[in-house]
Amino acid sequence: MATIRIPTPLRKYTQGQEEVQVNGGTIEQVLAALEQSAPGIKERICDESGKVRRFVNIFVGDEDIRFLDNLQSVVKDGDEVSIVPAIAGGR
Amino acid sequence: MTGGGHYLVIGAGGLGCPALLGLLAAGAEAITIVDHDVVETHNLQRQILYTVGDVGMAKVEAAAVRLRARAPHLKITPRRVKVDADSLGPLLAELPPHTIVLECSDGPGLKFLVQDACLARQIPLVVGGAQRWRGQAQAVVRGQACLRCVFEEPPPPDLQEPCSAVGVIGAAVGLLGYLMAHLAVSLRAGAAVAGRVWAIDTRTLTPQELQPRPRAGCPACGGPAD
Repeated sequence: MATIRIPTPLRKYTQGQEEVQVNGGTIEQVLAALEQSAPGIKERICDESGKVRRFVNIFVGDEDIRFLDNLQSVVKDGDEVSIVPAIAGGR
Repeated sequence: MTGGGHYLVIGAGGLGCPALLGLLAAGAEAITIVDHDVVETHNLQRQILYTVGDVGMAKVEAAAVRLRARAPHLKITPRRVKVDADSLGPLLAELPPHTIVLECSDGPGLKFLVQDACLARQIPLVVGGAQRWRGQAQAVVRGQACLRCVFEEPPPPDLQEPCSAVGVIGAAVGLLGYLMAHLAVSLRAGAAVAGRVWAIDTRTLTPQELQPRPRAGCPACGGPAD
């Protein structure tokens, strides 16, 4: 299983959990599994076409998936997947 | 490592207040503070430069008073300006050489706008943001991953979540503001801090460091240095 780090704005979908463990061999599969356990979360991460939204980034370990294989990036057991949204607050 | 030199701090709110104190503590010689807002009571929870007596006062003026009281030698230039596409260019054009910018506003689009403008002028900057329990910051210089290398664009207005709507914990902006000041001082000292994304979740006390790569063809920074 891989561990997905859930950013604060999306924890309302995971009952407040910061980390969720899912099965999946690619980012696409991992996100699908995450959506099953946290319905509604995928729409915040991906657009209508299924692509990762441009203000969100996903890392497998330290690697930006845009430098790997995007949604087909391989995820192995024990990998840490980070969903990182652009945060704009500051006031 | 001392902070010497001039800094431009855009936003004198939750991030800007601790960032200003961090720059002062690090030995900054001159700071220009830019914000158009006034102090309000609900700011006081996290905008640590202000007091009840400052309510109604322009933030840049109140911040200048507080900083001068701590460091009379520090040259402070308060600028009560709403930073946008029209005002940003002239603001950056009048900066002294070797200025480092700290983007501490809460406008998603503004963060990208400021970054892009600074990169075009080869002005080093630190961009930070904090909401709810989490904050993240990134020092940006040409040749290293920039904000658009990591997040191609800001969220659209209907998906933006301002702090006024979702809240922000004081510890998150406090930590991030001081971190932004430290990153700015580190940039001036030539430390290799640019490009990485530093984040912390203050609810779980979980820090995170990401090392994104410059994205080929990035419209802001041009991608990897040759």
